[in-house]
Amino acid sequence: MKVIVFKENVFNALYSIFAILSCVALGRVCAFYAPLLPSSLYGLIIFTFALHLRIFNAEKIKSSVIWCIKNMAVCFVPAGVGIMNHFELVKQFGITIVAITFVTTFLLLTLVGLHYQRYAEREE
Amino acid sequence: MVEIAELMNTHILSSIAAVAGTIAIFQFTWAVQRKLNVIWLQPMLISILAIIVFLLWQDISFESYFSHAGLLNALLEPAVVALGFPLYQHLGTIAKQWKSIILVLMIGAFVAIISSFIITMLLIGDYSIAVALSLKSVTTPIAITIAEQLAGNTAITAFTIILAGFFGAIVGPPWLTFIKVTSPKAQGLAIGAASHVIGTSTVSNISYEHAAYSSLALIASAVITAIVSPFIISFLVTLF
Repeated sequence: MKVIVFKENVFNALYSIFAILSCVALGRVCAFYAPLLPSSLYGLIIFTFALHLRIFNAEKIKSSVIWCIKNMAVCFVPAGVGIMNHFELVKQFGITIVAITFVTTFLLLTLVGLHYQRYAEREE
Repeated sequence: MVEIAELMNTHILSSIAAVAGTIAIFQFTWAVQRKLNVIWLQPMLISILAIIVFLLWQDISFESYFSHAGLLNALLEPAVVALGFPLYQHLGTIAKQWKSIILVLMIGAFVAIISSFIITMLLIGDYSIAVALSLKSVTTPIAITIAEQLAGNTAITAFTIILAGFFGAIVGPPWLTFIKVTSPKAQGLAIGAASHVIGTSTVSNISYEHAAYSSLALIASAVITAIVSPFIISFLVTLF
């Protein structure tokens, strides 16, 4: 019984990898011919519609994707470490850039959040 | 110390060390955060700070670390594609509300671009920095392309994108809850719009609804900004 479950899990994981990587590939093709969006966002859109149109079986993909989303934050760490290359910029322009970034991000968060919260409450 | 730096530059094992080390630090901080339940102990932020301190201490360049930890960076693209799953699950509800979602994200994009540009012009007075800061809320590849087109400073664009991402990811959820924005849809949209994919990856752990709406905001804001920012910025330039 355990062997069957294990085999099924392995199959589902491989199936998910195939599904995601084929969307990554298609995303790259789209980004090459229509460079409005980066390939990963095209891939995201294609994956959503492929699931919606039942080209891929969502049930088989579910557990792998949950694992993937739960752990994806670690993939941003190497790029984030890139901040260390910009210490000079902060020295040059002072803390003003950092402050403007914080204030305007705060503004955007509050505006979009409050606006949609009101809409969501009205809907309910 | 020099030996570790040399090893990092020459040995193939260093790739495994860089990837495994990054994952180990991340998992460790995550475990500690879950145990202590403290907001500021954000695994992504703490891992980055710890690695920066380590690299500076060992005199290892970022380029060297990044080339060795390239595997993790390569996984970024499939990981972003995987966000299509929560989006698919909420496609039905989103389809019903698409007009209000697009409207709020359009207002958001306009306010983000205009406020950042004007404040930067008033405080720093440099056009290339103002362009860089107006584009910080969208995902890196798009922002860099637009910054290049509009003669913005791409290094500052890259830096502020990461800053905006982490800021929204860490402060976003507690701040939104504090101002009584408790709906997962509203929280997801706000964080996706302000903190792009870094914010999205963080709130995706809260709930699937967060993940779906944040992914949607990420895509829609990127498209809206790519289309409207050249017009808004060319107009704003005439004011200064």
